[in-house]
Amino acid sequence: MRKKAFASVLSVALSIMLLAGCGNNAGSGSNSGSSNSGSSSGDSTAATATSAPTDAAEQSFEGEELSILVSAGWMDNRYDATIARFEETYGVTVDLQTIPADQYSDVLQTRLAGGTCSDIFWIQSNPFAIESVIVDYENYCIDFTGADWMSVIPEARLSSCMVGDTLYGLQLWHNSPEYIMVYNKTLFTELGITEVPTTYAELLADCGTIAAAGITPWFLPGADGWQHQLSFFQIGGVYEEATPGLYDSLNDNTATFAGNAKMLEVLNEFKELSDLGYFGEDWIGTSSTNMANEFGDRNVAMAMANSSYIQQLKEDTGTTDEFGLFLLPLGDNQNFPTNPAGPTMFGYKGTEHEDLVKAFFSFVCTTESLQEILDNSPSYTNIHVNDPDVVQHWLPEEEAFMASIDESKMLTPVLQTGTKFTNDYWMDFGADMIAFCQGTITAEDVLSNMDANRAISAAIQGDPAWN
Amino acid sequence: MKKNKIYPIWFIIAPLILYIVFFLTPSLLGVWYSFTDWNVRSKGIINFIGIDNYIQIFTSNIDYSSGILNTLKFTLISNIVKLIPALFLAILLKEKLKGKNFYRTIFYLPSILPFLVIGLIFKSILNFNDGLLNAAFEFLHLDFMKQKWLSDLGVVWKSIYGVDAWRGIGYVMTIFLAGLNAIPSSYYEAASIDGANFFHKLRYITLPMLTGAITINLVFGLTYGLKVFDIVYVLTNGGPGHATEVLTTYSYQLYANGAYGMATALNTILFLITTVLGVMIVTYMSKQEVRND
Repeated sequence: MRKKAFASVLSVALSIMLLAGCGNNAGSGSNSGSSNSGSSSGDSTAATATSAPTDAAEQSFEGEELSILVSAGWMDNRYDATIARFEETYGVTVDLQTIPADQYSDVLQTRLAGGTCSDIFWIQSNPFAIESVIVDYENYCIDFTGADWMSVIPEARLSSCMVGDTLYGLQLWHNSPEYIMVYNKTLFTELGITEVPTTYAELLADCGTIAAAGITPWFLPGADGWQHQLSFFQIGGVYEEATPGLYDSLNDNTATFAGNAKMLEVLNEFKELSDLGYFGEDWIGTSSTNMANEFGDRNVAMAMANSSYIQQLKEDTGTTDEFGLFLLPLGDNQNFPTNPAGPTMFGYKGTEHEDLVKAFFSFVCTTESLQEILDNSPSYTNIHVNDPDVVQHWLPEEEAFMASIDESKMLTPVLQTGTKFTNDYWMDFGADMIAFCQGTITAEDVLSNMDANRAISAAIQGDPAWN
Repeated sequence: MKKNKIYPIWFIIAPLILYIVFFLTPSLLGVWYSFTDWNVRSKGIINFIGIDNYIQIFTSNIDYSSGILNTLKFTLISNIVKLIPALFLAILLKEKLKGKNFYRTIFYLPSILPFLVIGLIFKSILNFNDGLLNAAFEFLHLDFMKQKWLSDLGVVWKSIYGVDAWRGIGYVMTIFLAGLNAIPSSYYEAASIDGANFFHKLRYITLPMLTGAITINLVFGLTYGLKVFDIVYVLTNGGPGHATEVLTTYSYQLYANGAYGMATALNTILFLITTVLGVMIVTYMSKQEVRND
């Protein structure tokens, strides 16, 4: 009997010990949180922050940690100095969690669904993205409506940050032409190419000339998983031109990607360039990390990049070559890739540091921070914000290029921004393009897969046009 | 006597409750969810939709079937490329070899490295343009050996098997070594006197006596192979294109896209395959063991 009692006690004790390990420390966390948020008006560091709009002297976050979940390439080093000042001003630490681009979406969604998201998270936003990417935004996002920093965001970008009248996101991005063709003008001239290609036939011929000289015509980093599909989506204007009203039809589910002749034409042109080796011997296994060196060593002649990349290229490689810009002529496109969208940061509603998150958003929107972010962005020449005190650094090449484009060619936004649920399957479409280039699926499959994927998103979100 | 038999049950109760609450119940719930339309927008309203998710898996434009086949293929081949070399390595390192403990450690070391680290290192080593492996071939004037290790459809799976074997062989070898050490040396001595060569001893002594270790390795290898995710995810992320997608990478994508019902349906298929194959192997090997006894 005594043995039985002993065994019972031991079993209960064992259960308690095991269950203790499963318990969370929410209680202790909130205690420490409340002690941290207690007033400490004597914080001299906070008091000296002259440019921080938040009343840092009254708010102390001493010892707290702010975590930020971001995809590689969206913050890079350009926020480092601002984050360091923020840490110093508020006596906090910032934990920057940078995830490789090809894994970011999966990681973010898993962490949002699992309730373990960082205090601040980023998405590649557009007018549809908050609803289609974050989906349950009311549960996941802090409502910033009425925040002072809203006025910093230009009108064109607000639709990527708001749902209805509610402000959720902060988008600080540049306004340079995005992902157009950057080419080595000196090299082109040396090879006898005096005019930039404006049609696919001309591009093909120029690529042939460049390849014959032992140079990779077009550097395309397929291993990144997110770059090569830009060549399909950035020329949305050409699809709309070929089928007027296409964007609206795609958005009300009266048109599909599948069967679109212009899209098929572009995909087939892309494959032809791939088959001819004009993207390099192993573009599918190539990442963008070495792109600047490849340009600097004159191993490549052109690539899809932002116009301001020219500046970074010159700084990184010290090349004396001249560079220029032209519109991607797949499908004979001559439309400008208008895209008032970009990486956008959101506050996670489940955070224990909501005030600190708000302080961070306000902090990065000060003139000092905005200037700092721009000045520390070697690949960007401007930051698109409503702040006349920020000094922009536009390149002459950019200004000349922009001036050369007819305004009527700037009206249609890029395909991924202008149509619903398209950007959600960015990576899937990229994988399909590679599968198409490797001959395992057809161009028609690539397009119909996008339709099927969009339908899944639409069904999940209960879009009336699909249901 | 009877009391002694009941006594250990008191110690089983606690872990059993935990097992039921935290493992069995969620697993069964997962099976239930696979028959529902549970998704990121459900907000607590989940509808029973029968086998729709399963129908979609086998009729969808996304080739889930190839993901299932790839998973089975990986399970089979990765076990072959690990078990056979590991067995011979174990036999080799059981002999009186100088520095055998050092070799054992070296072979075992990769298995303690996280997949993420291994994936990142090998991704760099296997890079076509500036990876170490191709550079080594170039240095040795063996340019014909250069490959697009992670982007060529004909090579990519071999690269994955190679990296997986590099990591896993030491672990499998260690289990074989434990089994080999339990075989009395007198058996081999008697066989030698009877004129048995290496392969005779392997066929009639080593393999029958190693049935237990082989079963363990097979079951571990089977469950590992069927639920493979990290090595594929880190090395190729299912690419190039969808060439190396497996069940779990598809399931992960579905979960990430908010289609939880579909994701759990895929997991249920994986669960069924694992259970059927696992039971078959254990039953077969147990019979072998009894026969050898």
